[in-house]
Amino acid sequence: MTPGKWLGVLFLMPATLFVVVFFLSPVLLTAVFAFTSMSTATGVGEGGYLITPSTLHRLAERGMDRSTAESLGATTYLVNPETLSRARAAGVAAATLDELGQRHAGKSFDGRRGFERALKSLNNRPRSVRALKQAARHFETSVLNRTFGQREDLLAALAASGVRLSDEDRERLVDASYTGWTWTTDNLRRMFGTADTAQVLANTLIYVFVTLILFNTGFALVLAITTFYLPTTEAAVFRGIWFLPRITPPVLYVLLWKWFAWDTGFLSTVLGWFGVASRNWMLDTAFNAWVFVVLINGFVGASMGMIIFSSAIRAIPEPLFWASEVDGASRWQQVRRIILPQLRWPILFVTSYQTLSLLTSFEYILLATDGGPGSTTEVWSLAAYHTALNNYAGNLQYGYGAALALVLVIIGVVLSLLYLRIFNFDALVARPRIET
Amino acid sequence: MRILIENFTKRFGADTVIDAMNLEVADGEMLALLGPSGCGKSTTLFAVCGLHVVDDGRILFGDEDVTGWSPQRRNVGVVFQSYALYPHMNVFDNVAFPLQVKREPGPAIRRRVSEITAMLEIEHLLERLPAHLSGGQQQRVALARALIRRPGVLLLDEPLANLDARLRLDMRSEIRRLQRETGITAILVTHDQVEAMSMCDRIAIMDRGHVHQIASPADMYRNPVSTFVAGFLGNPPIAFLSGRVRGGRFWLDGSTAGIDLPGGCEALEDGREIRLGVRPEHVRPADSGPLSGKVSFVETHGRENLYDVTLNGGQVLRSIQPVRGDIAPGQTVHCRLDTDKLLVFDREGTRL
Amino acid sequence: MPRARGSGIIVALLAAASAPLVLMYVFLVIETVGEAPPGQLLPDGFTLENWRFLWEDLPGKANIWAVTLNTFIFASATTVIVLAVSSTAGYALSRINLPFRAYFLAGVLVLHAFPTVTLIIAIFLVLQMIGLYNTLTGVILVKASLELPLGIWIMKGFYDTVPWEIEMAGVQDGASRFTVWRRLILPQVTPGILALGVFSFLAGWSEFILPQVLAPDNKVQVLSVYLAGLIADDYDLNFALFKSIGLFYVIPVVILYLFFQDKLMNIYGGGTKG
Ligand SMILES: Nc1ncnc2c1ncn2[C@@H]1O[C@H](COP(=O)(O)OP(=O)(O)OP(=O)(O)O)[C@@H](O)[C@H]1O
Ligand SMILES: [Mg+2]
Repeated sequence: MTPGKWLGVLFLMPATLFVVVFFLSPVLLTAVFAFTSMSTATGVGEGGYLITPSTLHRLAERGMDRSTAESLGATTYLVNPETLSRARAAGVAAATLDELGQRHAGKSFDGRRGFERALKSLNNRPRSVRALKQAARHFETSVLNRTFGQREDLLAALAASGVRLSDEDRERLVDASYTGWTWTTDNLRRMFGTADTAQVLANTLIYVFVTLILFNTGFALVLAITTFYLPTTEAAVFRGIWFLPRITPPVLYVLLWKWFAWDTGFLSTVLGWFGVASRNWMLDTAFNAWVFVVLINGFVGASMGMIIFSSAIRAIPEPLFWASEVDGASRWQQVRRIILPQLRWPILFVTSYQTLSLLTSFEYILLATDGGPGSTTEVWSLAAYHTALNNYAGNLQYGYGAALALVLVIIGVVLSLLYLRIFNFDALVARPRIET
Repeated sequence: MRILIENFTKRFGADTVIDAMNLEVADGEMLALLGPSGCGKSTTLFAVCGLHVVDDGRILFGDEDVTGWSPQRRNVGVVFQSYALYPHMNVFDNVAFPLQVKREPGPAIRRRVSEITAMLEIEHLLERLPAHLSGGQQQRVALARALIRRPGVLLLDEPLANLDARLRLDMRSEIRRLQRETGITAILVTHDQVEAMSMCDRIAIMDRGHVHQIASPADMYRNPVSTFVAGFLGNPPIAFLSGRVRGGRFWLDGSTAGIDLPGGCEALEDGREIRLGVRPEHVRPADSGPLSGKVSFVETHGRENLYDVTLNGGQVLRSIQPVRGDIAPGQTVHCRLDTDKLLVFDREGTRL
Repeated sequence: MPRARGSGIIVALLAAASAPLVLMYVFLVIETVGEAPPGQLLPDGFTLENWRFLWEDLPGKANIWAVTLNTFIFASATTVIVLAVSSTAGYALSRINLPFRAYFLAGVLVLHAFPTVTLIIAIFLVLQMIGLYNTLTGVILVKASLELPLGIWIMKGFYDTVPWEIEMAGVQDGASRFTVWRRLILPQVTPGILALGVFSFLAGWSEFILPQVLAPDNKVQVLSVYLAGLIADDYDLNFALFKSIGLFYVIPVVILYLFFQDKLMNIYGGGTKG
């Protein structure tokens, strides 16, 4: 290694670090998370063990013996050194406890009644009914609604509870009571199995292709060609106008569209003059919502194509145009015979690039319709966002969201590799001329 | 400082661009690397200055093996074809840069800069940016920058290619003067044979990664080792005639004319195919003789005229003559050749 | 070429297509200082009522100046990181003969075209795990990383245009590669650094999704999240107020755009997200 190469390694280090930590590891983690059941309920850290009535209910439905389930759910009263000292610490009279310990040590009572009777029958029984009930509480033992940090703790508690469980039932109970996340392929099954997915997929295809054809490529071409034929000032004005959405922050840009379409906004006001009832044009029907989703994204997307096509057209040698003018070709013929053929590669580039961009962008839709009305404009990336990061139900399903994102990640990698091939990557890697 | 290149081999991927090249440049000598485009001149130069890694062989400065040395350590001054002046620095900073990176004290730098710029007659330009200099001035700045560290070796990669014809003439002698004055060992890369012949002590002529011949300009002109060398040197270029040996004479293909061979060539066996190199200045008009043809082209150079004569049988001979009005295109002429100046090559182009 | 022929029709058609945009941007300005009764578009009075957010906090919202400061810190820190890292990595990839260089370059290109938002779920979880959730630092690091592939690619492009001879001459003059970079090459790519800097600043200034997801807290809120939150919370949509905040928000963008128009066009045209 020469000093020059060390410098190269040093210079690449920060970039590599950033990219690995915040780029590659998220890619890998997306793939990992996609196979987990992570959600708000499970948390992302390690979980504990918790048996709730609903856990028992579920297990009973799945075939656990009903009486076992009931006895697990029941509260028992145990007299042992542990419960005794617990009661003592809570301030129950020592005499009561001593006597209880002598007479009933090691016994267990199935139910409050029986235990309270035993307490009453003591010589040193608690004075009042209230004191009696409070004292009884300290001897309650139940595995229900207690969180155990470790599997062993739960097993010990189960053993102590005195409920007899078959090995199989115990396994099932422990698994079902785990509150952390687990490995699973349910996410993929769910993704490929539900009708929602089909709907979202259809939405995505409509969104991507309609926007792409109408605006990102189509209207971009129109803009580039028409401004080419305009005098420079007019051309600059129009290019400037169409560049505005690109530099306007998305939040503000979508706000402007909302103003345009909302029931107190521009369209309603103007149409109101003609007697049309005011309404929210953006969200009142699914069709309108789609129109606005396409317009909002398209008005932003047209500028990239416009810039690329414009410079490609300007790169066409002028004599080609002179020749066709001499031949008496019309504008339209000029566009078809000279401009469009020269734009083949730029069009391919913009189309492929924007396909990927549109496929994965959801910012504008999120801000505009948020997938509504209903979920008629919910596209794939937005669905992933909603599932994992933001929804009304409040249960964020990180695992399932990651599975949805993983599909996009895979499409992204495949498409970008494909583009590298199409657009001749090798040409970009010239050999450095200083070799040391 | 002597430069010795031993068995130097350079590959780019699978292409071997230079294969086991050997070259020695004597101390204080100026050597031209001459050859057509793409023959590996720049590659050789870059290996000498250390920018390219040598795939095989060694490079020595004096007796020191510098093959593994970094460019920074080699102390080589280089003038690039595009001059490569630093566009954001003025002339002073450009010239001073090599000393600044050596962290020499300011006053010493200033003294040295004024010395070298005076030598190159650019001391009045110190404040200018390179963009505001003429081509010739830029060239001088580049030379000053290359020389300021008193390098042991000066390498020039087509230094005159970007200048107009007049300036090129001036700079030719200027560079040669500097090289003589400083006594520096220099390698000049060029594909212009006039430049090579007029500026250098010796010429190494290259083709496709091989050195064909190393000799002084005059020697090389008179005694080329191959048709390639003979064809490369000389303007107007040499003409080649192909034919066979019979009875110690040369018989032109497609013609009945026999030509005497120069001394030393009588022993060639009969029937051997050879090529005869004839320089234009060795072809003279004659009243009669076996060699005759039609004048197919006339070009005047002012003091001289160049004639192309298409011989019977279709081969072309070139002749340069003091300007005269009596020969016109289409006319049939007889030619006489200076027998002892003729160059004889075998079919593959090697000198016999 | 007689370009003017028939351009009247073209202008009319283009103007019609551009009308919504023009209207939106014109009314963005008008409405912030105009008083228009309901059902009327053009204002008949002047008011600064909509700008009151500048001197009094909106109920339940963070202070606008604190939010602006956050936004500025976010955008400039991102820019600094992007510039520092891209200008070094871009140089190494453009100029230094490293093994695996081609793979690095391919990697950068793939990442450049790569859908970054798809990573946000994983990033969200990573930040929670390493404790950078709801901090400006976290979201700055993430934003900078996601901008890096483009930055590196752009800088590499700029370095590629610097003649090799300058670099070779520097090395021959005895300078180390670092000195060559620092004193000879870097000054040649200042236009690139400037363009990339402005671009990154604008990208940071406008960014919404990342801060929204990774740093939504009032204390670290940026303008985009602030404005979006305001819009989401208000059922009546007080457009005049929103637009005033929006205009306040967009002013730096407009200024930068006006100054660096051509440079920006180049970068946006070079193919970015959107
Ligand atoms: N970096 C490189 N990668 C691959 N091949 C190269 C590289 N540099 C030079 N070559 C090849 O090596 C051969 C010699 O190149 P070089 O630049 O030395 O030629 P040259 O004699 O200087 O020509 P010119 O007079 O045109 O400058 C050429 O065939 C060229 O294509
Ligand atoms: Mg060369």
